[in-house]
Amino acid sequence: MEQTTIKSLKAKRRALWRQRFMENWRVFLRNPLGRIGMSLLVMFGLMAICSYIPPMINPMYHPMTGVDPDVVSSVGPSWRHWLGTDFMGRDIFSQLLAGARVAFLVGVSAAFMSVVLGTAVGMTAGYMGRFTDTALMRLADMIMVLPTLLVVLMLAALFGKLSIWMIVLMIALFRWPGVSRIIRAQTLSLKQRPFIDAARVSGAGHLRIIFRHIMPNVLPLAFLYMTFRVTSAIVIEAGLAFLGFGDPGTVSWGMMLQWVWKTGHMFQAPYWLLPPGICISLITLSFYMLGRAMDEVLDPRLRDETQAG
Amino acid sequence: MALLQVENLGIGYQTAKGLLKAVDGVSFTLEAGRSLGLVGESGCGKTTIGMALMGLLPPNGRIIEGRIVLDGIEISALDEDELRKVRWSKVAMIFQAAMNALNPVKRISAQMAEAIQVHRPEVDDSAAMERVEGLFNLVGLPLERLYDFPHQYSGGMKQRAIIAMALALNPKLIIADEPTTALDVIVQDQILKETKALQEKFNIGIIFISHDISIVADVCHDIGVMYAGQLVEMGSAKDVFFNSQHPYTQALVSSFPTLAGPKTKLAPIPGEPPNLTGAIPGCRFCDRCPKDTASCKLEHPKWQEVGPGHHVLCDHC
Amino acid sequence: MTESRENKTILQMEGVSRFYRTRGNVFRGGGRLVVALSKINLSLRQGEIFGLVGESGSGKTTCGRLIVRLEEPDEGRITLGGEDITHLKGKRLREYRRQVQMVFQDPYQSLNPQVTIADSVAEPLITHKVGDPLDHLERVLRVLKTAGLSPPEDYVYRFPHQLSGGQRQRVAIARAIVLEPSLLVADEPTSMLDASYSAQIFEILQGVRDKLGATIMFITHSMASARYLCDRIGVIYRGHLVEQGPAEQVINAPKHPYTKALIDATPKFGRSELVPTYGTLLAAERPATSSAGCPFFRRCALAERLLCAGSYPPWRQVGPRQVALCHFAQEEVPPPPPAENAARGETGAP
Repeated sequence: MEQTTIKSLKAKRRALWRQRFMENWRVFLRNPLGRIGMSLLVMFGLMAICSYIPPMINPMYHPMTGVDPDVVSSVGPSWRHWLGTDFMGRDIFSQLLAGARVAFLVGVSAAFMSVVLGTAVGMTAGYMGRFTDTALMRLADMIMVLPTLLVVLMLAALFGKLSIWMIVLMIALFRWPGVSRIIRAQTLSLKQRPFIDAARVSGAGHLRIIFRHIMPNVLPLAFLYMTFRVTSAIVIEAGLAFLGFGDPGTVSWGMMLQWVWKTGHMFQAPYWLLPPGICISLITLSFYMLGRAMDEVLDPRLRDETQAG
Repeated sequence: MALLQVENLGIGYQTAKGLLKAVDGVSFTLEAGRSLGLVGESGCGKTTIGMALMGLLPPNGRIIEGRIVLDGIEISALDEDELRKVRWSKVAMIFQAAMNALNPVKRISAQMAEAIQVHRPEVDDSAAMERVEGLFNLVGLPLERLYDFPHQYSGGMKQRAIIAMALALNPKLIIADEPTTALDVIVQDQILKETKALQEKFNIGIIFISHDISIVADVCHDIGVMYAGQLVEMGSAKDVFFNSQHPYTQALVSSFPTLAGPKTKLAPIPGEPPNLTGAIPGCRFCDRCPKDTASCKLEHPKWQEVGPGHHVLCDHC
Repeated sequence: MTESRENKTILQMEGVSRFYRTRGNVFRGGGRLVVALSKINLSLRQGEIFGLVGESGSGKTTCGRLIVRLEEPDEGRITLGGEDITHLKGKRLREYRRQVQMVFQDPYQSLNPQVTIADSVAEPLITHKVGDPLDHLERVLRVLKTAGLSPPEDYVYRFPHQLSGGQRQRVAIARAIVLEPSLLVADEPTSMLDASYSAQIFEILQGVRDKLGATIMFITHSMASARYLCDRIGVIYRGHLVEQGPAEQVINAPKHPYTKALIDATPKFGRSELVPTYGTLLAAERPATSSAGCPFFRRCALAERLLCAGSYPPWRQVGPRQVALCHFAQEEVPPPPPAENAARGETGAP
């Protein structure tokens, strides 16, 4: 083949993927939920990145260890401390920024792990069928009926304080069954589709069918569920932290709420109570809206336009 | 006066890429007791016309120009409430996917009785059941299957049940949109023959919509060939098939295998139909036409009579 | 085509049956046995297009799936070029699939929506490790052109949903012939398409036969398509092959009542005077008394209760190379020379 032909073909290939991306992006942005969710997330992302700045300006702004020497108890907002300080004089604004970092870390990594696990289990169960399917799905059922927060609390009580990574791992281990059920159902229906038969006739083995033909069709769905899992992971972490079972070495929003409550500032310091509460609500909401908007990208039936027949 | 008059009908769909003119300048008339076959490739607008006649265009579709007059009533000007009265009682439809048109959790007889009573509230239960039994006899369904659920019926029986439902209120016009596509050859043949017999018996006008010209050829009096939203040829079945004038009709007829006559080589139609979004100057078949000349692309072809009742949309015929 | 080439048998099915068990439950025990194919004997000759005609549920698709080994027969033997492939597994099954490919009915379903046309067509090349990526692309372009998509450069980097049904089916054909198989099973390749596309697909299939020398099994419900495309036709009814012979003979002089009923039901384009009407189909089905009798007994207008309900009909020679499974089928043409008789025996008799 001539070099020019190859070059033009390569250009066509790039154009195809670009076009596909732009099309989805357009549908996503047309959805008001998608736009709001996206802008909120960008805001939280900026907060997480900016969390590194205050300690660099002055060590007293360090969210965990930085104490303002001039402050002895919680004070309200001022120029020095935009959102005030907590009971021992730590800056609430820098804690809030650090909390965003932790929320992203916990939310995204726990969701990612549980979705990877759930997808792997779901595809295996759906594709293999028979005994494997039954065994994996009964296991999933058993884990699904366990109340996650309660079990994690009991484990925390058993092992003492948990590190943030242990918490992430626990959330992942307890939240995959829902994903695996959905992925399994999708795999089952994909397995019946003629293009799988066509791949078999083309000589594809089981591994190739799973990774090349089934996986690309379930990944968008898995990705969608990841956004919903992020929401639940953040809420679980915040709950744990509020109940006093968080990682004592990190500043999360749940932890901040726990400090408010423990030091009896619940109704005395709204500047301290409200920001973490609002942030938790908003970040879960934004991931949820992101998921809803993505749902529309993935499922053309939800788009409000019909093709002419 | 004719049973159905369609004048210069234009229907557009609002899509993300702009207005898609699915039907453009279609005119025809249908007398009571006659059948008209609308044939063409998918996307040529034949189903859209059927939907417009029923007043069932999807939300993004609307009639842009022209009018539809059925039995003295201008359908294209009615609002939803008035349409509902006309639908089923004057014009009924036999859908493409008969299998999905029946409610799976209700007995066939109950569904049919309900359909009757919704439109004729004065009919009581026993009279409705009597009517249902009459309809079962009419379409050749055994009475002992009255109380079955749809899933207990075979594909052909379901299609018969749908036909019976369409006949329930003695409509003047029936629109059959691909009524036999999903059926086997033998069942298809039986249903087509029975539909034809019923039409003659009750003097109903039928519009058959199909992509398969072999089906309409045997059943219909008149044939309208559609291409890219326009009617390109119309006339009696005999004229259209044995004396086709439009290059598209000729191509369509010669691309079909048949059992009758000597085995001739089929001539596939090259290319694909044009995109209907935006304005198209000149003839729409140009790109695939063996006869096209420079002027074809520039001017809209004229709808001209080439024989008694035989019209063609082409300047070179 | 030379006589010797046509007579070389490439695929042979001997007494092949396939059963499905409907799902039973704990209380009733195992489910009912449904016969999808019953003792099919069939042989395809090199380079021919064989039409398998039947209604939906007649087992014609099952027959195709058995040949490409998407399913395994429960009884009988299938051989390709003399090699028994009935129960091939693993590596040898993969090797077999280099020679036997399939085009599926629904082009909207048989292409993976997430895979580009280039990758779909190249799939067999990758799984069978033929050539490098650049070589693949070259072959994909060439084979797309053979399948009537030109210029192929415009189609390779698109997703299936960007193509029309007819174009998709051509992609599916391209994928099936990219390895240059010796046998191609085409399972109703035109039934989901607009009728105007059929002629294009037929032309491509003929090209595949003429240029690649492939044998094609064309599965269809349409007698007219089979007549147009096929050299020989087999008619299948509820899992039983009921008539088999050269296409023109089966169409013009059908001997089995079911074949006649199919021809009666085929639309004639308003020219029914050119085709005789047989009227062999019973208006209402009659109850069958035993399963041992003729499979068509319940709908046959010619059947005699004593004979047809009780005993399974024999294969009768009804014309040169034409056989029918009917008690009453009779030969109306002079017998063929004995040499051909012998060749026919293996295709016909159960």
